[in-house]
Amino acid sequence: MSRVSRVLTEATAAARSFLRRRTAVFFTFFFPVILVVIFGALVRTQPTGGGLFAEPAGYYIPGYLAVVVLFTPLSRVGSEIARHRDGGRFEKLATTPLTRTEWLLAHTLVNVAIIGAASLLILGLVLAVTDAELVVSPALAALPVFVAVAVALFCGLGAVLGALADSQDGVIAASNTVALPLLFLSETFVPPALLPDWFLPAVAASPLTYFARGTRAIVYEPSAWTGDLAVLAALAVGFLALGAYAVPRTD
Amino acid sequence: MNETTAATADADTAGGHTAGAGDAPVVVGEGIRKSYGDVVALDGVDVVVEPGEVFGLIGPNGAGKTTLVRALTGTTDAEGSIRVLGASPDAVDPQRIGLLPQSFDPPERLTARELVGYYGGLYDEAREVGAVLRDVGMADDADSWYETLSGGQKRRTCVATAVVNDPDLLFLDEPTTGIDPAGRRSIHRLVERLAADGTTVFLTSHAMDEVERLADRVALLRHGGVVAVGTPADLIADHGGRPRLEVDLDGSRPDDGDVDAVAGALETGAVAGTETGAAVNGPAVEPTADGLRVLGVRPEGIGAVVDALGTAGVEFESLTWAEPSLEDVYLRLTGEQYSPRSGGGSSGDVPDDGGDR
Repeated sequence: MSRVSRVLTEATAAARSFLRRRTAVFFTFFFPVILVVIFGALVRTQPTGGGLFAEPAGYYIPGYLAVVVLFTPLSRVGSEIARHRDGGRFEKLATTPLTRTEWLLAHTLVNVAIIGAASLLILGLVLAVTDAELVVSPALAALPVFVAVAVALFCGLGAVLGALADSQDGVIAASNTVALPLLFLSETFVPPALLPDWFLPAVAASPLTYFARGTRAIVYEPSAWTGDLAVLAALAVGFLALGAYAVPRTD
Repeated sequence: MNETTAATADADTAGGHTAGAGDAPVVVGEGIRKSYGDVVALDGVDVVVEPGEVFGLIGPNGAGKTTLVRALTGTTDAEGSIRVLGASPDAVDPQRIGLLPQSFDPPERLTARELVGYYGGLYDEAREVGAVLRDVGMADDADSWYETLSGGQKRRTCVATAVVNDPDLLFLDEPTTGIDPAGRRSIHRLVERLAADGTTVFLTSHAMDEVERLADRVALLRHGGVVAVGTPADLIADHGGRPRLEVDLDGSRPDDGDVDAVAGALETGAVAGTETGAAVNGPAVEPTADGLRVLGVRPEGIGAVVDALGTAGVEFESLTWAEPSLEDVYLRLTGEQYSPRSGGGSSGDVPDDGGDR
């Protein structure tokens, strides 16, 4: 049995298990839709042009995508680890040929597929309910790559949170605590110009910043994006390695 | 530590009937220790499991059984020397190992067939899923989601996930918990078939009849240490006490006069079928909550006891004869409370019929 076969076996089981939890599936897709409707269609810019959401609608496309790219893997992988640990599944898997790295890769694959679909939905919704216009260029082909790499990165971080937290409740609390600041302080919804200078290094330290910059350079304001993808990919490899190491094997 | 040393000596000499001469032991653990904070779960356990045998591990809750299984399967870090199939637990070829954890809750929204197929899909080689499900009596419910199965069906499905890779060494941690008698029988037959085919089985259970039936050798764990190990027959002979006859006096507790009268009648009657000497001395007849207990009586001696009861003028309602079992060994060596009248509850005394502790 090859590594690929084991990963696909694990991924198939994980995908079936997820897709049969209708509530989880519904809210995975509904949560970002709510955000798009609220911030994209309901919230209006001040007449003077100031305040939040003062940028053209296309500027926020990376932000909306970041909602699912960030929140879903963090909470899903973290919760899955807590669920596996509580159910003795890691104890069982530790005696099979499946390695921790393979387990995380399998669940990353599932998340890439789910979040890829959710991202497509969000993109369509943003274009439908806001004034956003998508820059169509060959670079658009790199958008799924950005999504996949970012999802992998946050799957790794989710695995770390899942391993550190001692319960599913703890995972949810930890992932929210990590994700909310990241979401709003990574050049997604809040432009750097609205932040104090001393905080900008923190923005540069956020992995999500490189996702936002890169995708914005593709869909809104054409510019170089390969550097952002390289940074994001390097971080993804690091976080996946850290996450694979963190996946529990023993009690 | 001394108890452990003695247990190891027994283990070396009491090989199972399927252990091949000259074959290296499948499991060798020496001085296994594991603590959780201040709680010592395993305190220098030595264990040897021969190839092809069914090795039973019994002991009270918290004795360390599951921790020992985890130490041997490499799913917890423990001190001491452990060799499983000739390698350290974390280096064993996983194809050769099967594990049913005590607490195991697989993905709930997969069918039994999908679950077994999933775990089988992780191995290089796996048995046909349908055949495995038939072995555990789950063929008719194979396409039901795990979460909709009864407790017993769930456990049987979990057992199926442990044997789907056709392991050489199978760890079953309380496999029949929550399973009805028919389901238990399926599991028993499966274990017997696996053992007949040469699979080594490491079985923990609270069901003494199950262990007595299935295991070639049994180790009793208490407070993290092995206090006895041997074949069920040897353990029963050494620690199970003597056969006993319970005399029900219709709920009335006998007085000392009844006990003395029956003992005296037995002594003077030169009772056939009682153990020489032992049955006619003081400890041979003792009062219980509802009557009398006569120890050391074989079936052919029951008539003589009835005669003695008549001679002593003691009227009784019923007689119940029982031979010692692994459960008696367990109760004696763990010091747990015992009462045949209350179904092994907490109100009676530990039988004191002269056996070793």
